[in-house]
Formats: sequence, C-alpha cells, structure tokens
Amino acid sequence: MKNFYNWFLLIFFPIFISCSSDNEGIPEEEAEEVSPVVMDLDEVPYPKLSDYNFFKLPLADLEPVYGVLPYEPISALFSDYAHKKRFVWMPEGVAATFDGDAKSLNFPNGAALIKNFYYENVQPGNQTQLIETRLMIKIDGEWMFANYVWNEAQTEAFYDMEGSFVPVTWLQNGQTKEVNYRVPNGVECVTCHNSSEIPLPIGTKPQHLNKNYNYADGTKNQLQKWKEVGYLTEFPNQINTMVNYLDESQDLEKRVRSYLDINCAHCHSENGFCNYRVMRFGFENTHEHDNLGICKVPDEDISHWPEVGDPTHIIFPGDHEKSVIYYRLNTTEESYRMPLRGRTLIHEEGVGMITEWIDSLEDTCE
Amino acid sequence: MKTKILLLTAFTAFTALNAQLSFTTEDVPSQGNYQRCVVDMNGDFLDDIVSVSATNINILFQTESGFEVGNFTTTSANNNPSWTMAAGDFNGDGYNDLLYGGGNGATFMMSDGTGNGYVENSPGEYIFSQRTNFVDINGDGHLDAFVCHDVAPNVYYLNDGNNNLEYHQGGIGDYHSGGHYGSLWVDYNNDGLIDMHMSKCGGEEARYTDNLFRNNGDGTFTDVAAMANMDNKTQTWSTAWGDFDNDGFMDAMVGVSSFNTGGQKLMRNNGDGTFTDVTAGSGFDNFNHTSWIYAPADFNNDGYIDIYGSGSKIMLNNGDMTFTPVNVPFSTASIGDLNNDGFLDAFNFGEVHFNDGNDNNWLTINTIGTESNRNGIGARVEIYTEMGKQIRDVRSGEGFSEMSTLNTHFGIGTDTEIQQVIVRWPSGIIDTIENPEINSTLVIIEGEHQMGVQEVEADLFSIYPNPVKDILNVQGKSLETADFEIYHITGSKVMTGKINNGKINVKHLTKGIYVISVKKEGKTSTLKFIKQ
Repeated sequence: MKNFYNWFLLIFFPIFISCSSDNEGIPEEEAEEVSPVVMDLDEVPYPKLSDYNFFKLPLADLEPVYGVLPYEPISALFSDYAHKKRFVWMPEGVAATFDGDAKSLNFPNGAALIKNFYYENVQPGNQTQLIETRLMIKIDGEWMFANYVWNEAQTEAFYDMEGSFVPVTWLQNGQTKEVNYRVPNGVECVTCHNSSEIPLPIGTKPQHLNKNYNYADGTKNQLQKWKEVGYLTEFPNQINTMVNYLDESQDLEKRVRSYLDINCAHCHSENGFCNYRVMRFGFENTHEHDNLGICKVPDEDISHWPEVGDPTHIIFPGDHEKSVIYYRLNTTEESYRMPLRGRTLIHEEGVGMITEWIDSLEDTCE
Repeated sequence: MKTKILLLTAFTAFTALNAQLSFTTEDVPSQGNYQRCVVDMNGDFLDDIVSVSATNINILFQTESGFEVGNFTTTSANNNPSWTMAAGDFNGDGYNDLLYGGGNGATFMMSDGTGNGYVENSPGEYIFSQRTNFVDINGDGHLDAFVCHDVAPNVYYLNDGNNNLEYHQGGIGDYHSGGHYGSLWVDYNNDGLIDMHMSKCGGEEARYTDNLFRNNGDGTFTDVAAMANMDNKTQTWSTAWGDFDNDGFMDAMVGVSSFNTGGQKLMRNNGDGTFTDVTAGSGFDNFNHTSWIYAPADFNNDGYIDIYGSGSKIMLNNGDMTFTPVNVPFSTASIGDLNNDGFLDAFNFGEVHFNDGNDNNWLTINTIGTESNRNGIGARVEIYTEMGKQIRDVRSGEGFSEMSTLNTHFGIGTDTEIQQVIVRWPSGIIDTIENPEINSTLVIIEGEHQMGVQEVEADLFSIYPNPVKDILNVQGKSLETADFEIYHITGSKVMTGKINNGKINVKHLTKGIYVISVKKEGKTSTLKFIKQ
C-alpha cells in the first residue's frame, strides 16, 4: 500500500504544483514595468543614439520605450520649417518640480530631454528625413549637451558636436522649398540654451507645457500626465499660459506674444545674452508694451542695409515698415536677422502674423 | 540776454565747425551684398572701393579720372563678410588679400599674384566671427590673421612662413562663452610690440568686461586690463584708439552699443601702462548715440584725431581732450582718401561722401615692409612738426565691420614744414626721413632710411618721382653707361637697359611695387618704387 501511495504522489504532485502556480483566484503583486532606457551618467554621452535605448527599433520610427514620454510646447521655435518630435525621460524615483509659471521646471539629475528634427516630403522620393537629435542630460546639477546626426540610411544617429550643413529639398503645401540646414556646433548650444550663461532647457516652462496632448492611451493635460507617471511633483491650478500662435481663433496679440517668447525670449530676457537691449520678450513680460519694444528707439541703426527702409522704432504702432523688428524678421542676412541663429530661411507665416499685428496697433508714440 | 548770447555763440561755433568739416555725397557704381571695404587692391597705393558677394569681388579702382570698375569671379565663398571684412597682404605677393568674417567661419580670398584673380581659402573651423584683423601676432615678419569669436575663445591663423594658414585657438581672449566683439591692435605702452585691446559685450559681467592684452614678446599675451584701469564693463563692440592729445601715447575712446551698463568713456593713456577716465566734460559724457563702430581719423587735417561711427556725427577733436559733434551724412563707413586730395573720405553702400577739404596741410605715407610684413602693419609712424608730435599705428581692421585704408594719414593744420618722419617697424628697424614734402605721398620702404647707415653706401643713384606714372628719372654720378634692371616685387624681371640720359619710360608697367637695380663698375644698388 505504501508503494502505491508513493507512486501516486510522484505522479500527481507535479500536477498540484503546476495547478497551484496557475494564479487563478490567487492574488499576486503586478510585475512593475521598468524603463529599459540606458543612462549611465559616468559614461554619457554615448557614441550612438541607439545606445540610450530611448526608442524601439527601427530607430527612425521614434517609437518610445516605456518611460520615454512625448511632449510638445504650445508654441514652437521656427527652425527652417523642420518638424520636431520631443521626449522626456527621468530615472526611477525622481521627478521635476514646479518653480513658477515662467521658469523652466526644475529637473532632477539623470533627466534627459530629447528633440528630433526632421523634414517630410523630402525630394526626391518624397520621404521623411531625420536630420539631428539633440539631447540635454542633467548630471550633477548641470545640463550637458549632446548632439546626434542621422546617417543617410536613417538607421542610426552618431554623436557629433562639430556642426555641419545638410542640404534639404522638400515639398510644403505643394511648394518646393530648399534649405542648407545648419546642425549646430557644440559651442553654439549654450548661446540660446542658457540663463546667466548657465545651460538651461527651452520650452519647458509650465506656460509652454500647460496644454492637452494626444498620448497613445488617450488625451490628457501634459502637466497632469507628467505628474501621473511620476515626472512632476505638484503644479498649481492657475498657470499664465501662452497660446498656439498658429491657432487663428486666438487673440492676435496673444499669438504674437507666444511666438516672440519661444523664438526670442531665451536671448532677449533679463538673463539672456542680449539683456543689454531693452526688449524682454518672455510671455510673462509682454503684456506690457514697453517690453515688446513698442515706441522704443533702437540702439542700432540698420537703415544702411539695402533692403531696409527707414525704421524709426523697434515697433512702430500702425506701420510695420517703420518697425525694425519687421526688417529683422524678414531677412536672411545674418548680420541683422533675428533670431540670430537657429534659422536661415524667412518664416513667411510668422512675418505675416507680426506684420498684421503691428499694423493693427493703436498706441501712439511720443 | 545771456541766453541769447550763448545761443548765438553756440550757433556760430556750430556753423564754424560745419564750415570746417563738410562732405559732398556722390553715388558710385559699387556692386555687392557687402560694401564695407576701402583699401588699395592693385598695388598702386591709391585707395579703391571693394564690394563683395559670394561669387564676386567688385573693385572700383581709383584713377585720376574717376573709378575704373573691375569684377573678379570667385568660387562661392563658404563664408560671407556678413560680420566683418579685413584686408592685408597675407601672402606677400604685392596685392592685398581679403578676409571675410562670417557667422559660421572665416573665408580668405587670397590674391593670385597677378592682380587679376583671387583664390578662396576657407579653412573650415567653426567660428562665429566678429572683428577680423591682419597683424603679425608672433612677430616673425609674416602677416597673420586674427578672428574674434562671439561664442568661444578667440581664434587666429598664423602664417607658417609659406603662406599656409595654421589654426590656433586660445591665449588672446579666452572667455569660454565668447563675447569677443572688437579686437584692436595697438602698441599702448610704446615698447615696440603690438598689443591688443578687446572690446566685449553681452551676458554676465565677466563676459562683457574688456581685456587689454599686453604682448609679452614671446608669442604670449597677458590681460592687464584691471591693472591698466581698462577693464571697462560697458556694452562695447569697438573702441577708437588714437593719440587724441598728441602726447605720444595712444588713448582710447570706448564706445557703447547700448547704455545698459554705462556710457561712452574717454580713457587717457598716462604713459605708464595705466589709463585715466577723462570722460567728464569731454563731450562724450553727453553723447547720446550708440553704435557698433567707433574709429579714429583726422577729417579736417588739423592735426588732431577725430572719431566717427555713431549718430551721423563726427566728434571733432578740439585738441584738449574735448570733442564737439558735427553732423555728417554717415555713421557706418569705410574710410580712405578716394580722390587723392589728402583729405579722408567715407564710403558706405553705393555712396562716397567726399571730404570737401580745407586749407590745412597734410601728409600721406605708404609703408612698404621688407623685413616686416609687406604692409608694415604694426609699425609705429611718428611725425614732428611745429605743433608737435603725432603718432599712428598701421592697422588692418578698426571699428567693427569695415576695413579702412592701410595708408597712414596725418593732418598738420597750418604747419608748413615736417621736420621728421620716423617709422619704427615691427622688425625693430627704424627709418627716419628728414623734411619730406608736405601735401604729398611719402613712400617709405623699410630699411632704406636708417640713420647713419646710408652715408657709407653713398647710393649709386636716386630716383624720382615715387610713386611714378610714366617717366622714372634716375640721377647719379656717371650713370650714362650704367645698366639697369627692373623687377616686379615678386621677382620677375620686367625691363632691362642702359640708363643713358636718366629717363626710363615705365608707363607700360602694370601698377605695383618694383625694384630698380643699377650696376656700375661692378657695384649694384637697388631702390624700390611704386608704379601708379
């Protein structure tokens, strides 16, 4: 009898084990998903973009892995019509903090900001072409810049701080456009990305982020989403938020102020490189017309340039041809164009919007 | 009543000043996106007008009967002179080369030696160029090129001796994020070594504090601005350096592009390596204009250097470290003598503002280096007249964007005699010319007028006129049977013959510098001359 019992156990015991490991009806802790991003702060910058494992393969699809969160500022910088795809990632257990509507979120060490630049309908072949991916990584309280340039095959992007030019021809609304796209040299990064010469991200102020984004799992306010995934601690209910300058249903002046903030305020601000000029183009400042340069006499005389008329003020209300800002936006000549860097083409839509706004102004100068 | 008298006095003074200095504007057929250069381009030492586009150099050559247009096609310049332009004979072939300072790098257009073509050399380093200069940085006799960097430490290209560009970064303006706007090469301490003053702007205070780099003589420079009281913390793109009080030391008028952190400053050189702020009461204390450009020139030939570049005004030097503004039709401009009348004119985008002149006397000097770089850049030129001593440094690249003449110009007011002209070359050679003719051009070739050396040689011959247009007169004892040879400065022989009656027809020679060699009884002697 004992023998049979032993055999019984031998045969059926595994079945009991396998049954009991079936989990049905037995509660078990959910396996926590971990972000597969690779970020050794002693080793970065890595030689290749794929080394970070931010994206699934194929790399050029820019499909983020777990933990890499897409984001978008409400109004975006004009970069010679290049499109952008931006992402943020942070290590486990740390988050950014709120530091004021008009100041960048305070990011923790290990945080990475990822910005991919690309064109669509690139000729010949009418395809999408990724040009560069710019990273900012926070290490020991300071931001590090790392730039990656995509190969022609679009399989990889390589660490390259030398700067280069990439000629691109593409179709935009049926029109063929060309650009000799400038990939910046490493020393150029901080000229825009700084506050008091200390490296700082642009486009990460709550006033830039406070909007809805269509995530894969549904639409949500970006700040709310960041909080939910553990990337932001707290944020207030009321935030002085800008508008999308492309949204023609918005107030024209708010659109202009939003455009000037994202394209200009990083230099034309109290702590920017051009703080010695009177303009303060931050959205938080431009409700006051003085800060926009309205009725302000320019320090610099650009009237000797052939395409410039006789501007009398930085912005002359009612007449864009008397406004310095109009000529600076409407030129490609590098010694008086604005923004100074980051663009080589004229942003026709931006110029049109600002022209319309200047001509609509009713202030009177003394 | 007092007010009326004051007003009347002011009005009279104003009119009187304007009567003393006025310009007549004429259109000129210059063509190009960048029109910011006045300098001799065909070797005849007459200032020409240079305008450039990416694929063309347009030159208006100055002649007696107006400007002759020349267009020279180039390869498409990698960098345009969108920020600055400089000129100098980098490759020593007798024709000035051009340096374009662009927002992504520097491009050189080197003359090909014929006077008829230019070859692009874009070394390729990333530079957000600001002020560019040609200067012999390491004192080896070869001209080098300096390029201010807006967002990184300054860079320079040394001439390796074979006219190749050797890139260097660091040692002369090292602020990590740049702010380097206006480099000005000047011997501020009169030690015969060329120093550099660095006008700075933008960002934090440390970034916009000016530097004064003292040349240590061994290829290195030391920033002595704080010690010299020249560490100005104003938003400055350029500074006008000149001996404003004619005491033999270079002074500085530190201009501003914005009044944000202070106004213009007039700094008097104390002669001991330090400067004193003498702005109060100078006229610059209530000069309410801003500019990228501040540069010196004696416009009314009274022997006191004036300052231009801002507010459509020239600040006329009253001779006592005070200046009075005079309205003129230009701010930004390239300066040179565009009609060879001894008065400095101004060129800007299709317009020449010709100086109406006056009765004051003047002297123009062409420096030709032999041991030193061919332009004589870095040489200290001194003249002595009854009113005293005046000095200049030969400079390539003053103010901010523009390139102005490489000729050295002095006004001497009502003085009718020049006792001496002394040139102290970068090589250390000193030439002295006694009693040169006033109201004319004096050609000084390095080494040919050294005191005490010439007597022994007892030159076989002398030549006149120099510069020459058609007949070169050769004078000397018993030269009738002597042979002569004429070489272009690059070495090619262009003429031979016998002196005969001492008149050599050189009309057919192209413009440039030549050497005439005369052989008599086995002895050879040479002199250089300029063909115009």
